[in-house]
Amino acid sequence: MDSALIPKGVQRCSLGKFTLLIAVVGAVLLWGVYAMLLCWIKGLNQTNMNDYYGFALWIWADLAVIALGGGAFFTGFLKYIVGKDELKNIINYAVLIGFICYSSALLILAIDIGQPLRGWFIFWHANVHSMLTEVAFCLSCYFAVLTIEYIPLILENRQLNKVPFFHHLAHNMHGIMAVFAATGAFLSFFHQGSLGGVSGVLFGRPFGYREGVFVWPWTFFLFTWSAAAYGPSFTLMCTKILEKASGKQLVKDNVVDLLAKISGWMILTYIIAKIADTLYWALVTAPARGHTLMDFYSNNPVYGIWILVLEIVLGGIIPAIILVVPGTRRNGYLRMTAIILGVIGVSVNRWVMVLQVMAVPVMPFDFWAMYYPSWQEVATTILPVAYGIILIALSYRYLPIFPQEPELNPVD
Amino acid sequence: MKKAADHTKPKRYGMVIDLDKCTGCGACMVACFAENNIPFKKDESEKLLSITWMRVYKLSNKKKYPDTDICYLPRPCMHCEGHEGHSPCVSVCPATVTDYSTETGIVSQIYTRCFGCRYCMAACPYHARYFNWWDPVWPKGMEKMLSPDVSVRMRGVVEKCSFCYHRYQRAKDKAYVEGRTDVEEEEYQTACTQACPARAITFGDLNNPKHKVYELKQDPHAFRLLERLGTNPKVYYVSSREWVRKSGDNYLKHEEPGHIATKH
Amino acid sequence: MKIDRRSFLSLGLGVAAGSVLSPLPWKLTDDLSIWTQTWPWTPVPKDGAVHYVHSVSTLCSGGCGIQVRKVDDRAIKIEGMEGYPGSDGKACNQCLAGIQKLYGPDHIQTPLKRVGNRGEGRFAPISWDEAMSMVAEQLKKLRTEGKSQTLGCVVEREYGTIPQLFKRFAKVYGSPNFMTMPSYLDGYEQIFKIMQGEEAIPGFDLENADYILSFGSGLVEGWGSAPRMFQANSLWKEKGVPVVQFEPRLSNTAAKATQWVPINPGAEAILALGLAHVIIKENLFHYDFVNRYSARFEAWEDGQGTEQKGFKDRVLDRYDPRYVSRVTGVPSSQIEKIAREFAKAESPIALCGRGAGHTPGAIFEFHAVHALNGLVGNINRKGGVWALPKPDYIAWPEPALDEVAKKGGDTPRVDGAGTETYPAASSLTHRLPAMINDAEESPIQVLLVHGANPCYCLPDTETVRAAFEKIPCIVSFASHMDETALMADLILPDHGHLEKYQDVPAPEGLSVPVIGLARPVVAPLYDTRHVGDTVIQLAKAMGGGMADSFPWKNYEECLRKTLGQHWKTMEEKGWFSPDFSGPDWNEAFETPTRNFVFIPERYGKDTEEAGVSPIEVEGDPITFPMVMIPFDHVRIAAGPVGNAPFVMKTIEDTLLRDKDIFVQVHPKTAGKAGLEEGVLAVLSTPKGSAKVRVHVYDGIQPGLVAVPRGLGRGSGDEFMADKGVNVNRLIGPVEDPVSGLNAAWGIRANLTIA
Repeated sequence: MDSALIPKGVQRCSLGKFTLLIAVVGAVLLWGVYAMLLCWIKGLNQTNMNDYYGFALWIWADLAVIALGGGAFFTGFLKYIVGKDELKNIINYAVLIGFICYSSALLILAIDIGQPLRGWFIFWHANVHSMLTEVAFCLSCYFAVLTIEYIPLILENRQLNKVPFFHHLAHNMHGIMAVFAATGAFLSFFHQGSLGGVSGVLFGRPFGYREGVFVWPWTFFLFTWSAAAYGPSFTLMCTKILEKASGKQLVKDNVVDLLAKISGWMILTYIIAKIADTLYWALVTAPARGHTLMDFYSNNPVYGIWILVLEIVLGGIIPAIILVVPGTRRNGYLRMTAIILGVIGVSVNRWVMVLQVMAVPVMPFDFWAMYYPSWQEVATTILPVAYGIILIALSYRYLPIFPQEPELNPVD
Repeated sequence: MKKAADHTKPKRYGMVIDLDKCTGCGACMVACFAENNIPFKKDESEKLLSITWMRVYKLSNKKKYPDTDICYLPRPCMHCEGHEGHSPCVSVCPATVTDYSTETGIVSQIYTRCFGCRYCMAACPYHARYFNWWDPVWPKGMEKMLSPDVSVRMRGVVEKCSFCYHRYQRAKDKAYVEGRTDVEEEEYQTACTQACPARAITFGDLNNPKHKVYELKQDPHAFRLLERLGTNPKVYYVSSREWVRKSGDNYLKHEEPGHIATKH
Repeated sequence: MKIDRRSFLSLGLGVAAGSVLSPLPWKLTDDLSIWTQTWPWTPVPKDGAVHYVHSVSTLCSGGCGIQVRKVDDRAIKIEGMEGYPGSDGKACNQCLAGIQKLYGPDHIQTPLKRVGNRGEGRFAPISWDEAMSMVAEQLKKLRTEGKSQTLGCVVEREYGTIPQLFKRFAKVYGSPNFMTMPSYLDGYEQIFKIMQGEEAIPGFDLENADYILSFGSGLVEGWGSAPRMFQANSLWKEKGVPVVQFEPRLSNTAAKATQWVPINPGAEAILALGLAHVIIKENLFHYDFVNRYSARFEAWEDGQGTEQKGFKDRVLDRYDPRYVSRVTGVPSSQIEKIAREFAKAESPIALCGRGAGHTPGAIFEFHAVHALNGLVGNINRKGGVWALPKPDYIAWPEPALDEVAKKGGDTPRVDGAGTETYPAASSLTHRLPAMINDAEESPIQVLLVHGANPCYCLPDTETVRAAFEKIPCIVSFASHMDETALMADLILPDHGHLEKYQDVPAPEGLSVPVIGLARPVVAPLYDTRHVGDTVIQLAKAMGGGMADSFPWKNYEECLRKTLGQHWKTMEEKGWFSPDFSGPDWNEAFETPTRNFVFIPERYGKDTEEAGVSPIEVEGDPITFPMVMIPFDHVRIAAGPVGNAPFVMKTIEDTLLRDKDIFVQVHPKTAGKAGLEEGVLAVLSTPKGSAKVRVHVYDGIQPGLVAVPRGLGRGSGDEFMADKGVNVNRLIGPVEDPVSGLNAAWGIRANLTIA
């Protein structure tokens, strides 16, 4: 029925099946929307956040999706600036994922703040010293860039493309995409960094605080680096999921291998830097403030040293090695394991930098603050996931996301 | 950071709290609630959701019976000076809601500008900042007790101790009318200082040698909370008990309070 | 088709671009943000003319001098009144939050008549006329039936014109049953009677004392006038005055003290005698005072001519530090050291009255502690204990009593106070419930309750309730709903504490006499009536001699006339301090020998053989292996009036969490019972059981379960009601055989996991 909208040369499931998928995911989405409305109408008392836990699940989700969405800027950077042309076969998908991640991040922020209707004060009364101001500006700008990157994709829809204006617009936009990719990469470096700075500058919170260069704490660079490193892994993971879901190979192995290799090397270099940072923090920064490393990992029911091991060893060193060594990288299972570990690793890093920062007592007579999210928080956090699935499903169905798909899956 | 007005010397208002005298009675909290239109809910026993600009913490030496000892520690906003006014919260607020005044040393908060991102709360190691998770509600008739000197905060914004800034304004207005440029020590006192029945809290200009706090803060037993973080707070505590002084900051095993060089 | 879509899309884009470029969305965005800044449901306090009214707050037993900041006709904040004796510019939590009681939802707004069952809390508003005639009718009927002595009055304290109006009312009506609520002051009252022969109230010159021995008194936890005690405590810190606290639990007072000496609960009297032993043995006592102004220190002859051992020998014989150490758990070296320091100090003072003094305790304790003060001669001296005359400014003419009044007035009191058994007691209200429950027909037929809350404050509240069930008519004059008002048949609501004139005599424990003046800060908000007016009008309604005994037009006239020339001073200053210079030792004592008597008459016989042993608490040790002790916390009002919302907000989360009260136990005790921090447990005593949470606390003697007083209010606003457990429900009175006072300091208990 909707075959006129489906790109040429590819096969898609029946509209009924597709509608069913959308309906199921849509129900989850509506649940999330309901929770979101509760938070907006009744206020943030709907959450389990409190005065010790002012930042919680949402901010973690925010940081995590932005880190994972880092695949967009870094792949763009590799393709357009570095000139890795093979990546054109995955760049569309990377952009789409980036778009989803960043729009979700903005939505989450709009739910997270206590006064959404005057959230724009962050621009109007901007405080240039604040990392969050930097985040807001770069995030919004980069979201605009991602939108610009995503628009030509939409315009390539079979029907839209028939409109000459759109056709030319899409064509011309593709032509100057390098400029946007460069802008995006530049913006991303900053907002990924400033997100890292969010906890890194908290000199009142020895667990999050890091020294650094000029106004930027080390976490500034580590966040950019890790987003660049793990973002492509997430793109690959999403590709794999979509391939599983559609039952088709969508991207050629050499492209996957290239991206995995780059991701691997980035993770490797990142994790070395991260280890160095952790050591300096544990041996110099924290002790200067009267804390030993184990102060941050004991006397509480959740945050043991295991979390550091999980983040650095399981989520860093192991995936780095697997992805760097050609033999293991080319093994599909191992590669996927590494990618998943990497995604977990970076998510744990963001979790630690938000939730554990809040949990660790600073005043000696204070206590570990534990927190679990309310259903409203969970629902609003799942909301972007549902929204992402729907957007991917729609885009995959109606837009030529994967240039190699017709070649890899010829239709009779 | 606002520049000091030319005609008055810059002040650094601060407190010295004598923990030997503090009995933990909570009068400072009650006076603060009443002075600053602090809302109250049916259940205020969940302290992480309870707005208390002034909060009295209970410290313990963690020793076994009968060597156990406890001490109360009232914690207002520390009005950190940080490094040149970069207090932990001021530098992170994205919308310039909170500011360090170089004229008074008071960290301000503009409720109508705050949009509730709570970054400042994450930044404050003293947990001196509170979020309005709920709309403030006064039972019918009880809104009569609201003071017009302090605006009632709407849901969704962060609030904190202001050192009763409205009292400073009132004192300044009075001084202006009387043709003076400066307010006297006793003309500007916070509600908690005024209320403390143990007279444990002393408030004044830390820069002014004529103010009592100037002398008191130099007590060899004076300390500030978490000095090592470089927050440079303007609330000093005095305790004759070593374990109490040691509870004011984090120390490694071999370290002794008083022997650690601090940044400020 | 293509054209259509194209034009449609173009139009859409055009509209979008047009809107963005128009001022509309920007204006809307701005308007929305302004709306969030001025939400109509967020109140905006009205501005107005500011002024202050001075008054005295009656919410606490201390009587804090206050100044109320007003904006136009609204009271907005209470602060301390500078210069007011005792509180001097400060006020306690309860009084500071007093405005919340004024405007709060549990302020009774009109006379109420019970329509539901007793205690059910269902009332219907009635008119004042109706209410007054109902009470008058009841009272007339009773009097005609010759049962005038079955009228009972319960007030909180005896002094001041309002309680005295009640007392006078009862007297001319023909009933001796004017009762006050129990307090440690009852102990002091009896001690002054039997050791100094005086009708007096205690004054402690704590500001000038230089060594403080506190036998479990919560000096910074509500004992005496709280703000005064806090200031005294600070003064001690400044002057380096040693404070020694004997208590089984590390209370705030113990933590503030120079030295906390843990002691077995109930053994305070023995410890005091142990200290006396050391002082006497080492000849450290005040020779001049003991030799010249005291009696029965040495051996003496009783009325029958038999020689009796003096205080000296009794103490030397029985209370040597090793024995005392065994009983009290205090090492003998410490007993000796403290005794020496105490005796060698210039103005040492020993104090008693457990916690905030809500229960009196055994007379032995008062005796032993006061004997310590006698030994060091610190009676009626700077820095010592003063016997202050009872407030005597109320000099109303003796009322003429008719036959009924005389006859009724001569009957013995229901609570047994002033009878042969308990001659020194003036009120033993805690005994009333049992008397009523044990009788066929309640010996109290009409009960008037003002300012007191016996259904909450008396021990064993279940028994109290049962007794109140049996009283045919209960009239409450409460201004706020409380547990007792809930049991009433009629509520004739008094004005709130900020709405009326009232004299407030004698801030508790102050060493100079003071009369404060509470005055209306705001005009009465509701259809309430000054309780003084109500009593006067009731008397007038009774007619005859009763009406004549209340010659005043209204309460205000009564108050003005009573205060006479002082009224003006009080109006201006807020208080008045009668001249008082305590008599010298040679004139100070009014015992038959005009001396300070170390061994009072009755007391001597009873303890001659057995000596003083620790007061045993109720319950059998096998079923109840632990001992529950109530404790006072400065942020919880345990008196007739509960916490205001602001004060509720200050309660620590280790005392109350949501609706659960926390009880404190030592880690060992918790461990033995398999209890951990925060778990739900059942606390049971011979009187009942309750669901509690466990707070494991190092600062308490193993085997004890400490329960905060003042929670578990069965009425009041939503901020206070039904939170935690009223400890009075779990504890019963233990009668002191000599004084009749309630000597209970605890009760046997068990704590098991829920």
